[in-house]
Amino acid sequence: MHIKSFKAVLALLGLGILVAPGSARAQATATAKATAATPAKAAVVPFEMLSTNHMLVKATINGKGPYYLIFDLGAPITLLGNKAAESSGVIDGKAPKAFLFSMRGEAEIGRLESGELKATKLPAIVFDHPALGVMGRALGRQIDGIIGFTLFARYKTTIDYQASKMTFRPVDFAMRDLLKELPDRLMGPKTAKRRVLSPAGLWGLRLGPTTGSVNSPGIPIAEVMPDSPAAKGGLKPGDILTTLDGRWTASTADVYAAASGVEPGKKADVIVLREGKEITLSLEPADGA
Amino acid sequence: MDISISIELTTRSIPSGISRMKAALILFLAVTPISASCSAEDTGIGKSYQVPYRLTDTNHFLVRLRINGKGPFNFLVDTGAPAFFISTETAKKSGLIPAKDSFWTRVGRVDFEGGAQLLGIRARIEDPFQLVGMNALGLPGASIDGLIGYTVLARFRIELDPTKDRMTWTRLDFNPVDPPIPHRPEAGGGPPELEAMNALGPLAKGLAFLMGKQAEEQLHPRGFLGLEWSEIKESSSTSATIRIDRVLNGSPADKAGIQEGDRIVRIGGKEVTGRSAALAALANTHAGEALNMTIRRGRGAQAKDISLTITAGEGL
Repeated sequence: MHIKSFKAVLALLGLGILVAPGSARAQATATAKATAATPAKAAVVPFEMLSTNHMLVKATINGKGPYYLIFDLGAPITLLGNKAAESSGVIDGKAPKAFLFSMRGEAEIGRLESGELKATKLPAIVFDHPALGVMGRALGRQIDGIIGFTLFARYKTTIDYQASKMTFRPVDFAMRDLLKELPDRLMGPKTAKRRVLSPAGLWGLRLGPTTGSVNSPGIPIAEVMPDSPAAKGGLKPGDILTTLDGRWTASTADVYAAASGVEPGKKADVIVLREGKEITLSLEPADGA
Repeated sequence: MDISISIELTTRSIPSGISRMKAALILFLAVTPISASCSAEDTGIGKSYQVPYRLTDTNHFLVRLRINGKGPFNFLVDTGAPAFFISTETAKKSGLIPAKDSFWTRVGRVDFEGGAQLLGIRARIEDPFQLVGMNALGLPGASIDGLIGYTVLARFRIELDPTKDRMTWTRLDFNPVDPPIPHRPEAGGGPPELEAMNALGPLAKGLAFLMGKQAEEQLHPRGFLGLEWSEIKESSSTSATIRIDRVLNGSPADKAGIQEGDRIVRIGGKEVTGRSAALAALANTHAGEALNMTIRRGRGAQAKDISLTITAGEGL
């Protein structure tokens, strides 16, 4: 098994030479800073539900089209098949193709319009995704690509399946450039990043040990300091803390992460199990550490 | 070097299709669509939930859920997935036994972080190769235990703002239908391109074997002092001082001799010019760490600076 995957890896690594896109990469100016040229008001985009339970959006690209794209919250990038990328002028028809999935590499969609939505300078990747091909043939439909994170990272997106429409309101969000970052990370050292989680305020409590079991509803409170915000809010040692400010507290890190979001002077709901009964307390952390 | 990078890009772009893949599997040779999905037995139509999420290193949205009270598990929010997919490992951990005579396995209760709940929902227990691959390489920075796709998501109106740390899910009066069941004559029978993609799971494992797995981020709680303070603005506009309002009894600060009314001058050699400076100076402190602190006691001519060492404890 290992030898087999080893061989596959080596073979693919070898083929990878062909993958390096030449002129395609030259066109790629995808940056996280690209802005959405969208009206400040919400843009409504209708979608169609395919019988495969996928959301299909009709769009024009650089004024050409229509193209049919799958809207995929699970896709970290926007993807365009070769045919659509060429006919819309996103990529030069003469750009070299890799053997694997006719990979063309990174590119940029100048202008994408769908419903009331207009997006410009959208980072994308061009290749023929095999599953799209299979799906398109089975449904007898034209499916040209996938709308992924590079688009919806720019908006507050609302999906209403019942009404078969989405709305997009522009937000200012700095997106991580995955295609630039990932190879470095993969080739870089495998040391774990270390991060300290800082509570925003002082609660006055100490946590007990977690079991780490999937059966564990939360984390026990080992100590509540006298006169502390936790004591004032009615927390008691032995309580099992299950939720802090709407976040589950299954681990120590969970508690600190949740507490990092509660500013001093802000009341937060804290749910505990006390003698098997669920109790909701209201705690207000103080300024301090 | 370049070579493997290119390959990585290729493998990487696949998870984008995570579910496309799935979809393709499901759809091809699909003969009998299931007439009706399980009607969720719960109510709460119109109710809104604030659902905390995490954006992974791979730009995937993860939410947490419990299966029949077991968990929490990390699930990918994936409109590209046609249904609810639970990995075999996660199913095992949560005591869920895959249905033998049916493609779908009924899950009695699913609780989502933030309060939403679905009862009696169908899931598919299997390991989508993209998850296998991503998890093997440790790419997302967290293990992904499954996918929530259309049959879960469509029961809610989903609002997602990447600048906020929670999504809003509002329960709709809408019961989505399950995707058609694929009938797979035997394992391995499929169009060559799908077979090629299926090879990517093991391939990623192979890559992980060669390149090593990305380590998960280590999270440490900040050390605890036991100080309540206020920020006092100085007459000179930009600067402020931190005045101690209370020292919790028996806390590390108490043991170090800090008293109510003291002002913090320096923490670990860093000048404390206000609240944010104090928090920044403490930001990387962990329990057990000894910190040098300078405090000013008394006012006016009687004021004196005192240096002390405080050993941060556990707590918050």
